[in-house]
This record gives sequence, structure tokens and C-alpha cells, in this order.
Amino acid sequence: MKDMKVHVHEAAKSLQQKLNNEPKVGLILGSGLGDLAEEIENPVKTKYEDIPHFPVSTVEGHAGQLVAGSLEGQEVIAMQGRFHYYEGYSMQDVTFPVRVMKELGVEKLIVTNACGGMNPSFQPGDLMIIEDHINMTGDNPLMGPNDEELGPRFPDMSTAYSKELRDICENAAESIGFSMQKGVYVGISGPTFMSAAELKMLRKLGGDTVGMSTVPEVIVARHAGIEVLGISCITDMAVGEEIEGVSHDEVIETATKAKPRFIQLVKQTLSSLA
Amino acid sequence: MSLVEKRDEAVRYIQSELSETPKTGLILGSGLGVLADEIEDAKVFAYEDIPGFSGSTVAGHAGRLVAGRLKGEPVIAMQGRFHYYEGHDMKTVTFPVRVMAALGVETLVVTNAAGGINESFNAGDLVIIEDQINMMNDNPLMGKNDEALGPRFPDMSTAYDPKLVALAEAAGHNAGVALQKGVYVGNTGPTYETPAEVRMLATIGGDMVGMSTVPEVIAARHNGLRVLGISCISNMAAGILDQPLSHDEVIETTERVKSDFLNVMKSVVTKLNEEGEN
Repeated sequence: MKDMKVHVHEAAKSLQQKLNNEPKVGLILGSGLGDLAEEIENPVKTKYEDIPHFPVSTVEGHAGQLVAGSLEGQEVIAMQGRFHYYEGYSMQDVTFPVRVMKELGVEKLIVTNACGGMNPSFQPGDLMIIEDHINMTGDNPLMGPNDEELGPRFPDMSTAYSKELRDICENAAESIGFSMQKGVYVGISGPTFMSAAELKMLRKLGGDTVGMSTVPEVIVARHAGIEVLGISCITDMAVGEEIEGVSHDEVIETATKAKPRFIQLVKQTLSSLA
Repeated sequence: MSLVEKRDEAVRYIQSELSETPKTGLILGSGLGVLADEIEDAKVFAYEDIPGFSGSTVAGHAGRLVAGRLKGEPVIAMQGRFHYYEGHDMKTVTFPVRVMAALGVETLVVTNAAGGINESFNAGDLVIIEDQINMMNDNPLMGKNDEALGPRFPDMSTAYDPKLVALAEAAGHNAGVALQKGVYVGNTGPTYETPAEVRMLATIGGDMVGMSTVPEVIAARHNGLRVLGISCISNMAAGILDQPLSHDEVIETTERVKSDFLNVMKSVVTKLNEEGEN
């Protein structure tokens, strides 16, 4: 725990020497959604491998760099590519970048992902505002001794996804003529996709979408007192009763198709932030 | 050192100080440790002094074993417990149960502070645990089984002894405290649940949720102990009421219902003592 704080501090310090802004909004860009970072003005790009103590991303479709700069009048820092639990990282590694963002001054986090739609009224390509999540990863990044300087021992999760930010995002979508879905994201460990029986179960348990990320990052963001907005891109349908199988290529293909709308939505949301 | 050897070392350390064999073990949860203060002729063992014990780290947990007599019954109480979310493995969390069993304890009374899921519950209610759901993604019996401790595949069909449920109901009646009954869900924590998680736990049959108890009860059953469980509803779980959760609230509520809890527990122990004499 003490080491973690030192590592966060060293990573942030190393980044601060390069950055020419003080980011207030963090972005975590999910599978196939990383192109949003290309829109950042006056970007300072730092590869993960060049940041002290950062893990290195291994999954296809994830670039693996931080991009800091301005976007729609906001000072932002974006993760192009993230660390997944199924890659074998510890929960502490998966969430390390969120700690670093906090240290850099980030107050709001927009976390995005590609996910499967379990709610039968959803369609591939839909964008969903995450209203809440269910942690089915089987782990929690806050296991172990707590450091009160980082956050409370027992963080409240009753409003993990900020109502204010959800409203801002919904209004932003409306103003550009998009209809958004809303729902509950179930975070699983992966790397297997869910079986039909598991999907039926998760649906019964109250999930609308299912994916392999986001939950650990949001837990740590809330522990650190960061406000969270979550946006899912539904890349495939995961309805237990009619599942046909899914490949990572398909996920990337749908994400690519949804990308222009996704980028527009996030930009509109950013421009609406106070 | 094997678990049994490690256990025996702790048992030797404690036993050398005890004047009689404790029959009932008590695990006192967050804010409920005060019951141990009522134990007469108390022998106190700080966890850090007992071989094989770890230190307890959470505010509201004292971290010591107290042995003596409560309402005539020879008891040994854990004031503070080891939580999985603190980073302890399941074997460490349940080590004190192994030690209590080896000291001669036959009945274990586990208590905890829990979040109410069942909407007919209120903060401050005391609930007899009828059954549990293990949502901790781990089990203290993983690994090689030692038949000297218990069976490879312990039956959990009556983890919480129905006779003790009835005994606790009668004890509540005697103490003039209305008791609820319900199913306890053990989560790892340390985050409190999201409202979506609470709805899920309601769907699967949970009445209250907390971050302890389940591993201890598994080890106790493996070890052949009878178990009685009592939850104190310290707050309603997330989303049931429109308000955030805090550990301070947990401690405040347990403080408020302290006298009810003490009366019920003393009545339970009195009945256990009578039961032993019959």
C-alpha cells in the first residue's frame, strides 16, 4: 500500500514534467473507441511503457498510451487502451492509472467500454449511459489494508455513477439528436464470453450489459472521490435465449461503426461540463 | 507448520491461563464488542500476543479474546474479528474458530452488523440468521483437507442450527425484543454494495448483507460446532433508502441498539447454560 502511493506519486511526477496542462477530466477509452484521443488538441502522448510503474497493455485494439491536452474546452487526459483483469494484472495494477489521474488533479472520469447487450430492447451499435454496475469479477481493488489518505475503508457505492453527469450526458445526446439507452453494467472477469446460461442468469440478476472492464476502475475512482460518468457501446447482443456466438473482430467492427457517434457524444458531453 | 500444529500452539498458550473449558464461543461484530465487558472473572488475550493470530485493523474492533463466565455459562468471546477485505486469507480469518473448537467450544454464536435488504427490516433490528449465501468467491476449506478437523465435503443444509434459531427466538421473547429472521449474504467488501447489487441480492434470496460471518460459519460447521448467528441491521443497504452509507452510521446504530443486543445475547447465553444443565 505504501509502495503503491510512492509509485502513483512517481508516475504522476514523471507525467507532470511532460504535460503542458493540468487535466481535470480523465477519459478511459474502451476497445475500438481509442480514436477519440486523436481529436485532442495540443496532445502530449506518453506511452505506458515510458511511465514509471505503469503496467503494459497486451490486448489487440488497445494502443497503450496516455494522451493529454484540450478537448471541447476541457483539460483532459485520456487512456488509449486500458489494463484488463483477465490479462493477469492484479486489481491494483488495473486501477493504477486512475490513482495517477487523481494525483494529476482529475476530478471527473468518463469511463467507456465495448460490451454485450443483454437487454433485448438494445441493438448492436447502441450507446448506453451506465446507471449502475454489478461487480461479478470476483475481486475488489480495495482488498487489503486501507490508506485513509487515498479514501475511506468502506466506500459508499450508492451513487457510483454521478446523477449530475448522467443528466449532462443525456442532455448532450438529446441536443445532437441521439437517443441513448440507460442501464446496469455487469463487470465479469472474462476472458471467456458468457455462456447462454450465464447470460440468462446475469439478466435475471438485473444486468443490461456485460463486459470485462470498468467496474474496478469505477470502484477506485469513487474511493478517490472522483465523479464518474460511464458510457457503454453495445457491440454485440448477448441475450442468453438467442446467443449465436461472438468474436473479438465483431466487437471491434461494431465499435468502429459506432465510433463517430460515440466521439460526437463524448465531445458534446465535455463541452457541457461546467 | 500445519494448521493443526499452529492451532495447537495457540490453544496451549490460551489454555495455560484458563481455569475451565469454555463451552460457548462468541464472535462479536462491529460495534457489538461491548458484550465482552460483561464477562466475569475475565481472562483477556490480546490477539497480537496469541501465537498464529494476526492483529485486527478496523475501527470499532478491539482485537482480543475474553474468556470467563457470562450468565453462568463458560464462554470465550472474540472482541473484533479478522476480515477478508483486510487482505487476510480465509485460513487466517477462520483461525480463531479452529482455536475455539480445540479449546472445547461446542456452540458458536456469531454476530455482525449488516445492511438490510429485506424492506420489512429497519435499521436497529436484530435478525436471527437462518441461512447464508457465500458471495465471497472463496472458501476457507480450499486446499488439502485435514480429516482431523472435519470432512472433505461438509454438509451445509443446516449451517445454522434450527434448534438454536428456536432458542434465540425464545430468548428474544424473554428479553422483550422482537427479532427478525433472514438469510445473510456474505460479500467481500470493502466497498458497500451498489443499488444494482442490492437488487440482485434481493432477487437471489438475501435479507441482509455484510462482509464477515460466512467463512467463520463454514469453518465452524467443518469443525462440527453448532452455530447461531445474529445480525444487527446497522443501516438499510444502498438504494433501499435515498441516502449514502457510512461506517459511522453503522457504529451509531449499533450504539443505539446496544442494550437490546446485550439483553438478547445474555438471554441466549442463559438459555444455552440451562440447555447444558438439562
